[in-house]
Amino acid sequence: MAAVLGSVAGVATVRAQEPPPNQPENLNTEAMEQLRKNSKALSKLELPMSAEPAFQFKA
Amino acid sequence: MAAEFTDDIYFATIGELNAHLKSKDFSAIELVRAFAQRLEQLGPRYNALALPLTAVAIRHAMEVDKDLKHERSRGPLQGIPFGAKDLLSYAGHPTTWGARPYAAQVFDSNATVIDKLEKTGAVLVGKLAMVELAGGGGYRSAAASLFGPGLNPWDRTRWSGGSSSGSGSAVAAGLVPFAIGSETSGSILTPAAFCGITGLRPTYGLVSRHGAMALSWTMDKLGPMCRSAEDCGLVLATIAGADANDPGSAHKTFYYTPQYYRTSKDLRIGYAPVDFAEWAEPATRPAFQQALAAIRETGAKLIETRLPDLPYGALASTIILAEAASVFEPLISSGKVDELADPKQIAGLKTALEISAKDYLRAMRIRAIVQQKVRRLFGDVDVLLSPSRFGPAPKISEPLDKHTNDAKPKDLGLSALIPAGNLAGLPALSLPCGFADGLPVAIQIAGPPFSENQLLVLGRDFQTHTDWHRKRPKIA
Repeated sequence: MAAVLGSVAGVATVRAQEPPPNQPENLNTEAMEQLRKNSKALSKLELPMSAEPAFQFKA
Repeated sequence: MAAEFTDDIYFATIGELNAHLKSKDFSAIELVRAFAQRLEQLGPRYNALALPLTAVAIRHAMEVDKDLKHERSRGPLQGIPFGAKDLLSYAGHPTTWGARPYAAQVFDSNATVIDKLEKTGAVLVGKLAMVELAGGGGYRSAAASLFGPGLNPWDRTRWSGGSSSGSGSAVAAGLVPFAIGSETSGSILTPAAFCGITGLRPTYGLVSRHGAMALSWTMDKLGPMCRSAEDCGLVLATIAGADANDPGSAHKTFYYTPQYYRTSKDLRIGYAPVDFAEWAEPATRPAFQQALAAIRETGAKLIETRLPDLPYGALASTIILAEAASVFEPLISSGKVDELADPKQIAGLKTALEISAKDYLRAMRIRAIVQQKVRRLFGDVDVLLSPSRFGPAPKISEPLDKHTNDAKPKDLGLSALIPAGNLAGLPALSLPCGFADGLPVAIQIAGPPFSENQLLVLGRDFQTHTDWHRKRPKIA
């Protein structure tokens, strides 16, 4: 019985350490993940060395 | 006898109000007082009002009446009330940028657009609510604002859109004849579409941003939100033009001269069927099909096209976040960023400080390629057409990013026209085109830089063939 209680308590402890979705810790992780995804999407494109940054902000 | 104001006045176009003023059906003071009081009374119902300016507005209207009495004409906006998004400074009055940390902020000069409008006799009756800091860090909740969630006049359980939420709902509810909004990536087109009004995002640099909150120096634009394409033309003609105080100014003037531009039947319109058949939510598809039919009725030639396959979302996100984090670095470093209403926005701004120079520069280099490819696209078509948003206004109780991970059609079509158009600095016009589940939906037309007159010609023709822009929500 004690072992069972122990394992339940263990699960509860793990759950308590996981903040719900709108908690700052999760949102910071989510935001960092988004930056990584953006970076990855941008790095997929092969850029010629001659490609300069946009200096004018209209086409 | 005091003039009586009915819904026909509250929902009149600028041209109609101007005609009433000229024929002395009512004075500018009467008109301004009626709108200012209505905005004060009903604005809070939609969380649309940031700051009433009734007393100041009535003083300005007195000056307008003096001018009218002496037949000093200052143009079609003379005596017309308007509202301005609360990211525009108005000397001596609070400018909150929709955010608690700036609730007490007061500037000592006006934004250039407000000065320009006041010089032509337009009368500012109130500052309008907005998403905090124009939502630059990304936000999950419609309530991401000092003023609460922007409520849609067509259904107050729905969002009015962002970030120019108050501008959208105030025009839609007949609280102001027109408003000024701002767009970095979608903030004029979205509330215009959700609220069933006509919104114009001008070419980057055409309208001065001096006195406006900076979010992204290379992408911010100010533009009109009105009842019709015609009204957008009238307002744009007043607010556009060179300004030495705006480093991004294109040093161009704009005259609203639709008579000198090609009529719709001479236009080649690029569109992607997949936008209307698959990207659009099922409930909106009948309205979009009708809109396509109405465009065909104008005589315009529809040509299938698609955007080049580029990571528009990642590009816009990287550039806006990097620039916003730099603009708001003092807010973030001081910890005051934690006073914002939306936790996702707080996290977004904090982590945006981590964007590397490598990623920002890479994004700006790819942006140059976007601009080049978009220029090429306009070799084959004159304008691009797509739904403004693929669905109607979401419920305010639901997370705004609820559908982020849904399966998307494989063909990109023109589905990324909002970020692509903003990266390339293109002008775009959002036109109401029907309803889905009782909520407005809209199409957008985008053109090459400085093609505003051409977009407005097409917009006017579309609004001659349809009456969606004339529909009014029930205002209790």
